[in-house]
Amino acid sequence: MSGKYVLIVDDDPDLVETVAMMLESKGFEVGKAYDGIEGEEAIKKRRPDVLVLDVMMPRKNGYQLCKELKSNKWTSDIPIILLTAVGEAVPTTSYSHAEGMATEAEDFIPKPVDAATLVEAVQRLI
Amino acid sequence: MASFPQDESRLAERVCAPLALNRINLSFFAHVAGDREVLCMARPSGEAAFTLLRTRAEAEAAVHLQPGTAILSIYPHDKRPEIMGNFIRSLAQARVIIHGLASSPAAISAVLSSKRAKIAVRRLFENFHFPAFPSPEEFFAAQSPPEELVRKVVATYQEKVIKVYWIVPQPDLDLWGMSVSSTDILAGFADALLELGDLGWQIPFLVAIPGLGNREFLLSFSTAAGSREERGSEIRRILKKHLPDLRPMRLTPVAGIFLHGPHFGDRYGIAQILTEALEKAHVSLLALSCTISSISLIIRQQELAAAQLILTNTFAAPVVAPVVGSRT
Repeated sequence: MSGKYVLIVDDDPDLVETVAMMLESKGFEVGKAYDGIEGEEAIKKRRPDVLVLDVMMPRKNGYQLCKELKSNKWTSDIPIILLTAVGEAVPTTSYSHAEGMATEAEDFIPKPVDAATLVEAVQRLI
Repeated sequence: MASFPQDESRLAERVCAPLALNRINLSFFAHVAGDREVLCMARPSGEAAFTLLRTRAEAEAAVHLQPGTAILSIYPHDKRPEIMGNFIRSLAQARVIIHGLASSPAAISAVLSSKRAKIAVRRLFENFHFPAFPSPEEFFAAQSPPEELVRKVVATYQEKVIKVYWIVPQPDLDLWGMSVSSTDILAGFADALLELGDLGWQIPFLVAIPGLGNREFLLSFSTAAGSREERGSEIRRILKKHLPDLRPMRLTPVAGIFLHGPHFGDRYGIAQILTEALEKAHVSLLALSCTISSISLIIRQQELAAAQLILTNTFAAPVVAPVVGSRT
């Protein structure tokens, strides 16, 4: 996967670090951003081959950023994996699952995310 | 802050269990064996935690509540000592009293008085560039009021077995310990870190807690670079250059274990499960830091296999290949 660029956007810096280590060990080049607005800026600077996007973030959440990217003709074809806390182990969340389904993201991975699942999902979308 | 100097092997029972039973989240947790713990929790829980720990404390123990504190973190540090050094130097320049320091794989955090937090942030803006915030004012404007952060429940987890993203062992580390008695000396330590950064070395772990009586600051950090002999002589040289009066102690070989999230600081009970598991496996914790969403442990190298086994049996987590080497 040499030369393929994955951008990770999550407000949990340790998760970003973990996922980056995971993807770098598989040969991906990795960019990091820590909220939706930083993510947007990073995409303007360099278009990712895959975007790994957290949902719950300050300033601009993942659903908002995903919708904006998918409605822009220049960015609509960037594959997006949403990391969502809506899952079996997370019965309470302030974010709506229905809103997530409407974002047209290519994939959803529930948190707590499984490392191997995430790497497989990224590889599938490239 | 809690200190149980006569009974350090009962961290789980004395400190972590009562907090977990009462569903108190630990936003920050720093521990150095033989000394005290620094624990931070959101304001409504502080009094309750203090009462719980004091109730369990015996005569020789000391429990102290420091109200009005804030946690200040910067990230990513990429284990680069120069970033940690600049962070510590900024705090020393701001003349803040640091109640605790702890690193996570991505971040370094300090506990300080809320009243001094803005001054410290201004100093950080003088020493760092933050792409998300062009100025301290924009940073302050973007912060939610602390009360709102405490009230807001973003998500809750109900796992039968706590899931961990990764358990990352790092087998060949040193652990350095020293006592620092003033912010001037702390600034000297920051300079030593900057020089280590020039060498391209890494600091995978750093923790600091106030000593008994608050007269000094106990600082522990781990290094990973080159051979053990090279590390020993080079670090002694650098520390002596910047801190000639200090007597640093080195413990080697030690190992690190890094458990990554999710939301460890926002979920009660994880520290208790972890410390209880290690105590059952007779693994002694030399130092521990819990901040952001990770827990970092330093143990004796010969206890690494036992620690990994008990942790993989306790948490649902993949174990990755050991982290070896450094940028040098």
